[in-house]
Amino acid sequence: MNQNVKLQAVLTMAKMFIKRFFRDKVAIFFTFVFPLIFLAVFGGIFGSDSSITFRTSLINNADNEFADQFVQGLKESDLFEINTADSFNKSKQKMGRGEYDVILEIPNDFGELKQGVPSGQIKAYYDESDQQLKQAFSSVMNEILDSINKRYVSLEKPLSLSAQPVQTANLTQFDYLLSGIIGFSIMSMAIFGMANGFPADKKAGYLRRLKATSLRAWQIVAATALYYLVIGLLSVTSIVLVGILAFDFHMRGDWVSFVLFTIISIIAMFGFGLAIGGWAKNENQAAPISQLVAIPMMFLSGVFFPRFLMPEFIQEIAGYLPLSPIIDGLRLIMTESKTIIDVWPQVGIVAIWGVVIYAIAIRIFRWE
Amino acid sequence: MANDILKVTDLRKTYGDLIVVDGLTFSVKRGEIFGILGPNGAGKTTTLEMIESLRPADSGTIYLNNINVDKKPYAVREIIGIQLQSSNFYDKVTLEEHIEMYAAIYGRKVDVLELLGRVELRDKAKAYVEQLSGGQKQRFSIAVGLVNNPKVLFLDEPTTGLDPQSRRHLWELIQQIRNDGVTVIITTHYMDEAEVLCDRIAIMDEGKIIALDTPPKLIKALLNRGFKKEVEVHQASLEDVFIDLTGKALRE
Repeated sequence: MNQNVKLQAVLTMAKMFIKRFFRDKVAIFFTFVFPLIFLAVFGGIFGSDSSITFRTSLINNADNEFADQFVQGLKESDLFEINTADSFNKSKQKMGRGEYDVILEIPNDFGELKQGVPSGQIKAYYDESDQQLKQAFSSVMNEILDSINKRYVSLEKPLSLSAQPVQTANLTQFDYLLSGIIGFSIMSMAIFGMANGFPADKKAGYLRRLKATSLRAWQIVAATALYYLVIGLLSVTSIVLVGILAFDFHMRGDWVSFVLFTIISIIAMFGFGLAIGGWAKNENQAAPISQLVAIPMMFLSGVFFPRFLMPEFIQEIAGYLPLSPIIDGLRLIMTESKTIIDVWPQVGIVAIWGVVIYAIAIRIFRWE
Repeated sequence: MANDILKVTDLRKTYGDLIVVDGLTFSVKRGEIFGILGPNGAGKTTTLEMIESLRPADSGTIYLNNINVDKKPYAVREIIGIQLQSSNFYDKVTLEEHIEMYAAIYGRKVDVLELLGRVELRDKAKAYVEQLSGGQKQRFSIAVGLVNNPKVLFLDEPTTGLDPQSRRHLWELIQQIRNDGVTVIITTHYMDEAEVLCDRIAIMDEGKIIALDTPPKLIKALLNRGFKKEVEVHQASLEDVFIDLTGKALRE
């Protein structure tokens, strides 16, 4: 039989697997609906910032009653959501992830009497790319300071605001979350879907019957990988669509890079599902190994919270888990306008994992 | 001999200390229905699996249609059809889709409805395998075994668990397949089945063939050894009564 016929068989099988998938309501739920529920829950919590509240990280260096009252006033206002902090760097990191809109720093001489009136200069830091925010915040803040100034009547404004830009990635919390959810759904499809689906097929004897034909092991591995690639891309598409329509997600990078990187990620990640599922004789063997592989990735690869919040030695190790470069790469493309070429270190790590795991998967594949 | 489609010589297989197949030598003629009989654990299935190239033999040679099974397993798999004891077909996939998939694996064009018609499942083309009755599943299994137009069809206890009507129906189908020129190798527990169906049978026990001949000759040899049945010979059996009362037509 020539190679063309064999590839044709792979395509026919993949087509049949896809048809079969869409007849399975449970599989559809876990592949499409489940990640969307996830998205809705997390998106709802961190979701779109359509209100006019400025999420503010406040660093109060002044120790006087005037400053305290000023802070109290801000807290009581509906315009501000005040979180007191003491480290500028931490606040800046959080602003970079979209947790804060502004960092407000009150200097230690704020409120000290100069020529009989309290004076001082508050510093507001905002994301440099967010000019709209700068204008909105500056005007609101200036108005507040003006109204205080008027009480003390002075020609020269003793209290004023100086707004200064800080460079961050300018992510909204949701944008940050979305890349994690895509990475997570790719991983769960590979490791919980495929790694358990294969042994179930073996138990049912499907593969035993196929082995008695002229079908080669690589053909069934390829057909299964192709089938999951199609379902995986559909799943990612549905997640991104809901992200755009319901949560106002903005793709900063280009779609071609995003799609290419997603395909590379799916293929590599599915190698793990194929390796576990191809090796395991039944679900009882597959389940613990799936957990062993999936759970560390789930918590250490930055699905739900960023890796830089973890202790340094864990960060080091976690960076090499296969899901980490996938999520990092997606994040860089989706939120920092990077291209597939810019994220070559991520592509490289993912590709190395892919080559290694497929070599293992085909070697340890068992028909029954 | 040129007329032999299968030639097995001194075939052996052990699992640890257990000798499962102990020096089998036999051959199967082109176009016959060859039965392998024996109690459980006699080594029937292991023997079949080695011939089908699904299990490596420890020693001995197998030639199927003059192809060395050990050297060219995929060439053998292309010219054999197999029906396994249990149903091994994907759920939520129609009969039609299964046939198409198997046809693609063999790289063949198959008239799906014609093939399903041969096993009287034409009207079930759009049904899922799990919606079929036991007899229908076995017939479908045979249809899949015929997709590649095999030279040899292997049937592993094809009538186990079927009602008398379905069994007789399946026998007719198997005879028809043989009449189309396919060699059939069948294992069974049922002596009546072997007697009706098989041109020759091999009786296996403890990994060895202890008798091999046509059913009438095996019976004659037994009688020649002075065997007499203790019970009087009935003119009809209970199964004859059952079939007479319920009819021969398939119930599905």
